[in-house]
Amino acid sequence: MSESKKFTYYPGCSSLGSGAHLDRSLRAIAPKLGIELEELEDWNCCGASVGHIEGGQLANTALSGRNLAHAQEQGPQDIVTGCAACYLNTHGAAEKIKSDVKLRENINEALGAADMKYDEDRRVRHACEVIVNEVGLDKVRETVSNPLTGIKVAGYVGCQTVRPFAETEGGGEYDTFDDPEFLDDFIEACGAEAVEYDVKTACCGGSVSVMKPEKTLHLIKKILEKAVEAGADVIATPCPLCQTNVEMYQPAINKQFGTDFNIPVVFYSQLMAVAFGMDGKKDAALDQNIIKAKKLEEKAK
Amino acid sequence: MTLAPPEQAARKYDLNFARWVRDNVNGGEKMSMCMQCGMCSGSCPIGTEMDHGPRKLFMMIRAGMKDEVFNSSTIWNCTSCYNCTVRCPRGIPVTYIIQDLAAKSVELGYVKKVQNARFAKAFWWSARTFGRTDERLMTAKYYWSGGLVDFVKRSLGNLTIALSMVRTKRMHIGAPHKIKDVKGLRAILAKAAEIDVRESKGGAS
Repeated sequence: MSESKKFTYYPGCSSLGSGAHLDRSLRAIAPKLGIELEELEDWNCCGASVGHIEGGQLANTALSGRNLAHAQEQGPQDIVTGCAACYLNTHGAAEKIKSDVKLRENINEALGAADMKYDEDRRVRHACEVIVNEVGLDKVRETVSNPLTGIKVAGYVGCQTVRPFAETEGGGEYDTFDDPEFLDDFIEACGAEAVEYDVKTACCGGSVSVMKPEKTLHLIKKILEKAVEAGADVIATPCPLCQTNVEMYQPAINKQFGTDFNIPVVFYSQLMAVAFGMDGKKDAALDQNIIKAKKLEEKAK
Repeated sequence: MTLAPPEQAARKYDLNFARWVRDNVNGGEKMSMCMQCGMCSGSCPIGTEMDHGPRKLFMMIRAGMKDEVFNSSTIWNCTSCYNCTVRCPRGIPVTYIIQDLAAKSVELGYVKKVQNARFAKAFWWSARTFGRTDERLMTAKYYWSGGLVDFVKRSLGNLTIALSMVRTKRMHIGAPHKIKDVKGLRAILAKAAEIDVRESKGGAS
């Protein structure tokens, strides 16, 4: 890809909070990969995995409807997001509206209350799918100037980045639901070693971990345990909620299970920023990890 | 066809329940495809925290065990991992059905104090008020909804996490991040809720 390709970028709410380092590192690496990110105008919350409970199905879908309407105004380019939940909801809503005439009618009636409309179709894509299908691994390899040699990484994919859309046509058919390889490919392309990690699509508990961690700490424990067993120096993930859950609950897990986990959890985009020879703080946002990824910091320029 | 509120339901078995689910629950039209193979329950990461797995819950729907379904912890402990949905050999969107059963259980007045319902309330409040999730205020509101004791206990329990979030600039101090057109967003959401009521009245006879 010689020229850069433009996308409408939907950062999502976590970009202003717990997932700020995903947003920062994604914006940093995008130009290097030939991707131009234009922020979605006045974007709102996607509804995550609980919006429908209090708001109802249609109002929850209308959240995505408003974002899609803004994207339509912004131009014909695809929408891209780095957040698993934003992708799940916005992609899901766009696909559903595309195939359901009645739903489109209802959404447009609701959007009409703010003089907005969504009468075209926009494709909503996950940043990882764009890197796989649009950028290509060769381009990632070519861009690496500071290979992460000697660093062992456990590639933790989580759930919603690949489920339920990775194997679907609309989702770009970029990988499998159960044994995705893209993350290991990213890690290896950066010059690091992707360790054998069979819990890569295990669940961190998602929002249940936020509201009642007592039910889900054992899930996160398994994710940590397997990474340590495999000799990983760091866990890498694409999902902002996975990153936060797996990182912030380590002290609670140690307390409950008598373990001594203290393993950094970073985003693939942070790995790439370091491997692309970019600034460890400004671009890779390594200063935003609670558990510092020391080996990456040492490698970073 | 409308469902009687829980206090009026005299029968233990509501023989219309499966049909009601088919017509009113998101994905419910595919429920009749279920062959009780158990792939969903076997794939569930959090089945140990549920009183019935998805397979059993679906059988309970068929049996008309409305109250037991809406009161089950299954619908509240689903983590939305979508394992069941992508693995179901009959193409049933299991996750969507379980998620919407949770919403319906709130709508029908089965649960008020369930943690998830309180969490969902706090979440929607933030989305509606600011157009975005303010992780700080949403969490505080959620803790507060459990009462003063719970609020203090959970806030103190998570103080270290909160402080490290502030230190790493993943939690800001100051006013919430608000979208520009909150008014427009609220008008859209109000209209959508209105349409929802209108459609469910027309569609569930």
